[in-house]
Order: sequence, then structure tokens, then C-alpha cells
Amino acid sequence: MIDVELILLIPVISGILCFLSPREHIISWISILVSAIGTGFTFWVCGPVFLDGTVIEYSIWYLDAMSAFFMMITSAVAFMVALYSRGYLGLEREEKILKTGSEKFYYLYLNLFVAVMLAVYCVSSVGMIWIIIEITTLISTFLVGFYHDDKSTEAAWKYLIICSIGITLALIGISLVYASSYGIVEESEALNWNVLMANAEFLDPAILKTAMVFIIIGFGTKAGFAPMHTWLPDAHSQAPTPVSALLSATLLNCALYSILRFYTISEITIPGYASTLMLIFGFLSLFIASMFILNAKDIKRMLAYSSIEHIGLITIGFGIGTDLAIYTALFMVMAHSLTKPILFFCAGNIMQAYGTKDMSVVRGLATKLPFTATMLSIGTLAIVGMPPFAVFMGEFSLFMAMIDSGMWWLAGIAVVLIIIIFSGFARHIYPMLTGETDKEVHYSKDVTRYIPFVVLAGAILVFGLYMPEQIADGLAGIVNDIFGGSL
Amino acid sequence: MDPVLYENIIDVCAILMLLLSVLSITTTRMGKLVQHFAIHSLVLAVIAFVVAYYTGKYEIYFTFALTLVLKVYVIPKFLNYTMHKINAEREIEPLVGIPGSLLICTALILISYLAAEPMVQSLDALGSTCFAVSLSIVLIGMFMMASRRKALTESIGLLLVENGLFLGTLTISYGMPLVVEFGVFFDVIIAVVIIGIFAYRINRTFNSVDTTFMRRLKDD
Repeated sequence: MIDVELILLIPVISGILCFLSPREHIISWISILVSAIGTGFTFWVCGPVFLDGTVIEYSIWYLDAMSAFFMMITSAVAFMVALYSRGYLGLEREEKILKTGSEKFYYLYLNLFVAVMLAVYCVSSVGMIWIIIEITTLISTFLVGFYHDDKSTEAAWKYLIICSIGITLALIGISLVYASSYGIVEESEALNWNVLMANAEFLDPAILKTAMVFIIIGFGTKAGFAPMHTWLPDAHSQAPTPVSALLSATLLNCALYSILRFYTISEITIPGYASTLMLIFGFLSLFIASMFILNAKDIKRMLAYSSIEHIGLITIGFGIGTDLAIYTALFMVMAHSLTKPILFFCAGNIMQAYGTKDMSVVRGLATKLPFTATMLSIGTLAIVGMPPFAVFMGEFSLFMAMIDSGMWWLAGIAVVLIIIIFSGFARHIYPMLTGETDKEVHYSKDVTRYIPFVVLAGAILVFGLYMPEQIADGLAGIVNDIFGGSL
Repeated sequence: MDPVLYENIIDVCAILMLLLSVLSITTTRMGKLVQHFAIHSLVLAVIAFVVAYYTGKYEIYFTFALTLVLKVYVIPKFLNYTMHKINAEREIEPLVGIPGSLLICTALILISYLAAEPMVQSLDALGSTCFAVSLSIVLIGMFMMASRRKALTESIGLLLVENGLFLGTLTISYGMPLVVEFGVFFDVIIAVVIIGIFAYRINRTFNSVDTTFMRRLKDD
């Protein structure tokens, strides 16, 4: 049984190989190749766990269906990012934006970052989860500050400081959880989340309440809950574009997953407490995101706010807490993680072609970059929740879930906010697609740059039109086994 | 010995840590600030030792040793080194003046006591007094990060937060499982080193370690 170790080791090896590689132009191929192997292996190990609900448990590892679900998303997105990085960084190297020799650092950090994110999902101790989440911050800080200029340094600094504080609060929460289990479970395994789960009804409710506030605020900072989200638009806009996609589609999930682990425990001990907090933060995030999307200028900042929006929606789903809502929220995690990279990759193409992130300058995409324009339209329609894409299915059944549990008002507010976000996107994206420009547009035609678009767009279309039964069963299994539902 | 005596020693030390945090808020010299942090950590180490002796848990001796080596010696040494390297011996005029800062600290301490109130009954004698104190230290550390302008002062703020946190875990739950404890220490060290690297980079990019220059990223 070294499956889990291997899953984590493959990206690490990939990073080291990239770092040691003697020639710059083969680094990206190494990363793509090893990443493909890693993703394949992750699916091979996690697939059965997700589909059959078996549990892998040995030494410090614990892998159940929910972990497997998140790991497969992370791994798949990481592979797409590895593919896209090749063309993106290749062009930057040609244009001398990158210093010689910095590419190997990029791939080193990128692969280590992926390994650490995967590790979040497979440890059994919630204390270990905390440690690993902190390491994700520490590694990705270098990716955010990768360009070494004033703006990226500022973004990296904010990211480092805000997330470190946030995560510190989460540790207070964890130590309170530990205190609440004092004398109930054996100390050596007191932070093992399945032990906590099994003894959840005996935990001290007063302490656990305070603990949940700290944990949701702490990990919520990392997950991008408003009003602790301020690092997020900066980091997403200043990081190299493939990294932005990774931050948005996978890093936020890591923090969300940590919250969910505690959420499931606290819903047994003090039902309704954590879920109310999550509803509040979810709506706040949705509201703040909608306001900023409407007035965005920088395309990557707009996409970053859209991530806050989706994390908000997902959090609302978990906050509602009915079986359907949790099922939907899990589905939306997947839908968002598959849709958002398309948009970030489009933003990357546009940035490199037009040399700007300012959406008011970019015009005439449809004639200059027809492929990017098509993908941008698909991605935009998908992310704002238009049929027939996956996010639509998610949002639709989220509203159904809200109405089912009698939250008419909240559903109404959410619809209004989502319409605002829709108009924000339409207002910014449509002029970019149409119009005329005299600008010379440089564009790299590299096959590895096209693949991720096609794969991801295909995936969101499939999940929007037709939900494979095995996946539906897998998600229902998570709802039943981990959230105690009965689907 | 009488358990009340241990509790009293720990309480006194915890209060001492709180006072040192308040003192750090009023300090504008970087060298002094690093020194305050070292003493702050030393007091924490003493608490760890007393808790270890009191509960007889050998893991907490590790916490004690690690605190002593890393936080009292290695990190201050590293901070001093970085400080000289980037010529940041003095904090520039803080964003909030010292009298104002003291007032805010008082408010933060009050808030912590209020926040800790609902849990007092559930925690044992040691935890119930120290939780409020550790929360105050955490909040004061955060306030320091928010109100000071130099990158290095902000990193000391973070370290104060971490110390407050360790005080919390030691007194509420007598430390965490050993693996977690080690991991947290490791993370803190790496965080401080990375903050040092970035302070250096900020110094090079902006020609200053004043973080108020960093106001370029915003939505308008």
C-alpha cells in the first residue's frame, strides 16, 4: 500500500526533474509527461474509491470518496495547466519577459504546489490538513510573485500575510476542537477526523461553537469568502495565467474541503450553527463579487471575483444542508473547477496577444483570434450559468434546493445577484469579441495550447447535458456516507 | 507541589506575554522589537516547561525545546540579520500613533475577554483564564500587522500571533499531538524565512520596506 505516497510523489519527482533538466525547452515536456502519468495514476487510485465508496486508510493517510472526488478534480486541472503552461511560458521566454533560467523554478514550484494540494485531501488528521494548507500558501507565494515586478511582489506579500493570519485563526479553531474532544477520545488520535466524526455527539458544544467561528473565518480566508477575500483578486491577477487558473480551480477547493471536514462534525454536535455561518458568508461573497464584477476593468480580476461568486454559491449549497443542496454543491465544485480554467486560459491568450489585461482596450477578438473568441464565448456563457453547460445545472438545482427548504427570499436575492453578474460579464466580454482594432496581434500556435480548451469545454458540455450515472452515484455516496444524507 | 501554584505561575507568565505584546506595539526601534519578541518567546517557553512538568506529558518538553531554540534564538537572529541587510533599523511613523494604538489594544483585550466568556464553563481553570489572554495576544499581533508600515514589523506581528496561538493550545488542550506540533513549528520557520525573502524583495523593488507604497493593486 503505497498508492497515496505515489500520488504525492509523482508531482514532486516531476518538479525535481524539471528543475534539474539541462535544457530549457524540454522542461515543459517533462512536466506534461509526468503530469499525465500522475493524473492517470490518481484517477486509477481515486476512481474506485469515488465510485464504490471504499476507504483507503493506513498510517497517516485517509482517503474516502470525498477526498477522491476533490483529488481527481485537482489532478485533472493540474494536467490541463501543465499543457497550457508550455505555450504560455514558451512565448514569454521568446519575448524575453521571463529571465533565462526562471522557467525551471516555475515548473518546480508548480509541481510542488500540485503535490501539496493533493496532500490536503488524503491526510487523516485535521491538524495535518492545517499544516499542509499553510504549505500551499508558502509555495504558491513564489508563483504569485513569480514576475518579480512591483505589482506581483505586492500581490504576493498581501497573499502571504493575509492567508497566514487567516490560517492562524483556523489553528485556534483546531486547538479548540481538540480541547472539545478532551477526555472523550484517545489523545493520540484525537484530531483524526473520522474519530472526531464517530464521537461528534459527545464533543463539548460550547467550545465547538467558538471553534467553528474561528475555523470558518480562518479557512474561509483561504477559500476566498468575503470580506476576507482581498488577497484573492490581487493574487489571481498577478500570478502567471496558468497559475491563476490553478489557484482559482483547485486551491480554493482545498480550503473549502477543510471547512467541510469540520462542518460535517459540527452539524452532528450543534446542528444548524455552522450552516448558518456558511449561508451568511456565502451570500456576502456572492454580493461582493457581483458588485465588483459589474465594474471590473482587468479581465483576470473579473475572473477572480467570479471565483468568489462561485465559492459563495457552493458555500450557500452546503449551508442549506439538505441532501439535494449538498449534492448540488459538490457538483458545482466540479463544474466551477472545469469551467474557470477555460476563461483564465482565454485571458492568457488575450493578454499575450494584445499585451494588456484592460478589457476596454481589447477589441475585435472574433476576427483576430477566432479560436480564443469562440472559447471565451463558451466559457462566459458557461460560467454565468447558461444552459446547456454544467454550471447551469448546478445553479438551477441549487435554486430548487433553496425553494424546497423554504428559503424563498434567499433564492430571490441570489437570482438578482446572479443576473447582475450575468450583465457584468455581458457588458465586458461582448465588446471584446466584436469591434475593430488596428492593433498588431501576436499569437502563438501551439497544439498543447489548444488541447486544454477543447477537453474542458467538452467536459462542461457533457456534464451539462448528461450526468453519467456512476458519477451521480459517487456524489450521492458522498452525501450519504459523509454528510449523513439519504439519497 | 500544589496545582494552584502551577496555575498561578502560568497565569503570571501569560499576563507577562500580554504586557510584552502591548510593549511591542509601542516600540518603534526594530532592534528593540526583535528583543521583545525574543523575551516574549522565552516566557512562552517557560509556560511550556511548566505545563509539561505539571501534566507530565513528555511531548510538551519538545515544544519547550523547540520554542527555546527556534523562537528565542534562531528567528531573532535571522530577523536581525535581515534587518541589517536591508537597513531597516527604525519603524517609520506608524499609521496609528502610539497613544491611539494603546487605546485600541485595550479595546482588543476587552473584546477577547467577552469572546472567551461563553466558553469559560467548559474549559478547566487553566484554559479559562489563558484563552482570553491568548486571544488578546493574537488580536494585538494582528493589529500590529495592520497598523505598522515596515515589512519586517509585520512579520514580527505574525510571530506574536503565533506565540499567542501556542499559548492557547498549551493552556486549552495541553498542546496538540506531537506531529501537528512539529508541523506547525516547521511552518512558522518557513513562513518567517519566506517573509524575510519577500521583505528583501520589496526592499529591492520599491527601494523601501515601507509597505504603504504597495497600493497599486485595487479596483476602481
